[in-house]
Amino acid sequence: MKHESVETNAGLLIILTLAVISVGGLVEIVPLFYIDDTIEEVDGVRPYTPLEQRGRDIYVREGCYTCHSQMVRPFRDEMLRYGHYSLAAESQYDHPFQWGSKRTGPDLARVGGKYSNEWQVQHLIDPQSLVPESIMPGYPWLAETPLDYSDIDRRMIALKRVGVPYSLTDEEYEANVEKFGEEHARMFDIRDAEDNLIAQAQAENFDGNPGTITEMDAIVAYLQVLGTMVDFSEYDDGHFAEFR
Amino acid sequence: MSQAATTAGAAPAASVATSEQYNYAIIKRFAIAAVLWGVFGMAAGVWIASQLAFPFLNFDIAQITFGRFRPVHTTAVIFGFGGNALFATSYYVVQRTCQARLWSDSMASFTFYGWNLALVLGVITYMMGITQGREYAEFNWQIDLIILVVWVAYFMVFLMTLLRRNQPHIYVANWFFMSFILATALLHVFNNIQVPVGLFHPHSYSIFSGVQDAMTQWWYGHNAVGFFLTAAFLGMMYYFVPKQAGRPIYSYKLSIIHFWALVFLYMWVGAHHLHWTALPDWVSTLAATFSILLLLPSWGGMINGIMTLSGAWDKLRTDPIMLFLITALAFYGMSTFEGPMMSLKSVNALSHYTDWTVGHVHSGALGWVAMITFGSLYHLMPRLWNVNLYSLKLVYVHFFLATIGIVLYITAMWVAGIGQGLMLRAFDQYGNLAYTFTESVVFLHKPYVVRAIGGGFFLAGMLIMAFNIAMTVRTGIKAEAREAQAASAEARTA
Amino acid sequence: MMGLWEWITDMGNSKIVALLLFMGTFIGVVIFLFSNRRRAQKFETYRYIPLDDDDSHREPVARRDKTKSDEQ
Repeated sequence: MKHESVETNAGLLIILTLAVISVGGLVEIVPLFYIDDTIEEVDGVRPYTPLEQRGRDIYVREGCYTCHSQMVRPFRDEMLRYGHYSLAAESQYDHPFQWGSKRTGPDLARVGGKYSNEWQVQHLIDPQSLVPESIMPGYPWLAETPLDYSDIDRRMIALKRVGVPYSLTDEEYEANVEKFGEEHARMFDIRDAEDNLIAQAQAENFDGNPGTITEMDAIVAYLQVLGTMVDFSEYDDGHFAEFR
Repeated sequence: MSQAATTAGAAPAASVATSEQYNYAIIKRFAIAAVLWGVFGMAAGVWIASQLAFPFLNFDIAQITFGRFRPVHTTAVIFGFGGNALFATSYYVVQRTCQARLWSDSMASFTFYGWNLALVLGVITYMMGITQGREYAEFNWQIDLIILVVWVAYFMVFLMTLLRRNQPHIYVANWFFMSFILATALLHVFNNIQVPVGLFHPHSYSIFSGVQDAMTQWWYGHNAVGFFLTAAFLGMMYYFVPKQAGRPIYSYKLSIIHFWALVFLYMWVGAHHLHWTALPDWVSTLAATFSILLLLPSWGGMINGIMTLSGAWDKLRTDPIMLFLITALAFYGMSTFEGPMMSLKSVNALSHYTDWTVGHVHSGALGWVAMITFGSLYHLMPRLWNVNLYSLKLVYVHFFLATIGIVLYITAMWVAGIGQGLMLRAFDQYGNLAYTFTESVVFLHKPYVVRAIGGGFFLAGMLIMAFNIAMTVRTGIKAEAREAQAASAEARTA
Repeated sequence: MMGLWEWITDMGNSKIVALLLFMGTFIGVVIFLFSNRRRAQKFETYRYIPLDDDDSHREPVARRDKTKSDEQ
């Protein structure tokens, strides 16, 4: 083929350019969907409950990912500071992923359970009251805004469409019981989404205000579950290294 | 060249003929929009930089907290300033090098209104908290659709203009613009595959999750840099550098190699944003390898641009516009060296998640993208309105303000990034962590203040440019009015 | 032959296949550009395209606002 005909023919230029730019992406991305060990098999990872998912939505809304990562790397200092390095499986129900690219604040992949609910609430309302040197903005409106959960079922249906195993039928529910246990499976049933959300918020009362379900309830519920799903004491030390 | 002779013959008939021969009206609009978005976007940047130095500036107001306002900054500068400048220059370059008028005035005009509508909606929705949570692709799904339609129109306008050309060869600048249009379409579509919650619901969920989502996003993220912020601006470079220098590009063969190598290599490197994460190792290694290879075409292009001035270096002493263009190429060379270095896994272990990355991005964004745009706009504006630039002195002032700003910014971020990286991996004699995370935040305060000041310098330069351009355009509009008056008077006497 | 085809279509080998394909094409472009002296020279004439489009009437010395005042 003559190169000359390429520069003088706009159509050919377009086709060739498209072919060339497609290859890099195809070769790197497509195999990720087909190669089995992209995501390792691990027990405990489950979808988010309705309340946690709404908390996650708020996490995305406030742009937390612009300052916090959710991806612990396999280095000694990060293990000491944050815990076991992150597994691909741990974010398999994250639509979208929130690994982040910048740590203006610390990594949050394993923040769940590290602080009490009261600490989280106070810290979100006024970070400097607990960590004077912090440069995090305050989020007082989270505690004042009632959580809008009117569309929780539609949100879960959308998530189901992209592959999160929430259940709409008895059959799907039974499958979830098998996979995640009955307690969790009940939480993943879209038909009871609103009741489940209210029940969890009232039972655990994350924001210390039992009267109303606020956005604070949701985001603290989400933060407290981060990184807690996998019990790493169940696995040998070198087990996950095989997948890297 | 025979076509050139015919157009050259028609040229002395002055501005009336040119404005009929070419669609300049659309370029004027895009060029002015670029300047306005530049002022707004850079001001937003200085604002969020100040928030990091002085957190009380968040004022507990949801709409302007750092998390919601940072996408406003990135969108305004990348798609507002950069995007509008690319529309303006690509429409100018394709017309001038094809010696053909832009296809369909109304479609071109649609790209202007559509693009800027999408951007304004984007800024408003981010502040309301409507976002996809994907860096540089935060637009929600409805705005994504508007952008898609605009982009198809842009592609049509550009392609049809190429097909109407009066010049057998398609000049290399247009290849770069075309690859930018195609790649951006591809990236935009695949990175924004979402399932909406409802038809009138602003929210949607990404079809991918976790590791696949991360790979798709950074394939997009890095190629937005590669094609939007590099290839397209190289198109700008390949026209405006020779034009301003009055000399042809150093080597055309080199430009062809530059093009194919760059287009081929860029698409592989996105995964270097995900080193040491849960992404499979082979993808990381592949990306790092290609990142190193990318140094070659990048430097080939830089040399091609800078050597255009070979034998006419004295122009740098007398022409501040040339100064902008050549400094831009120097920064391009610098950041395309820094980038491959940071993509090495060992360096990345330290640099990733720190401000070093932010500094690197800005040495490219301020040093290369903004500087080449400033130079091109200073070249373009007087020609569009057919007047002299209001003040060349102010161009010098702008140049020095911008350069001081960049140097402050980059050094502050080197100190911040490398300093924090070293602090976080330091151990004491007992093998415990030497510093808490909070201690590293305290350390960052001073570099953050210096960074905000650097940004302030850069913004001041941008404001001076806006003033200079405004005065230039004013003279142009007045001259046009005078001319119209004279023409009607002539018609009456005749 | 069949074995080779199977190797090529295997997803695990896609990286090597793509690399070979495009490295080959790229080297082809380079060889094409430099192999023929006349072709090489022809390419270099395209450098002048931006400068062909004459806008000397827009150069600073002959800009409209100046020439107009000169005439008066």
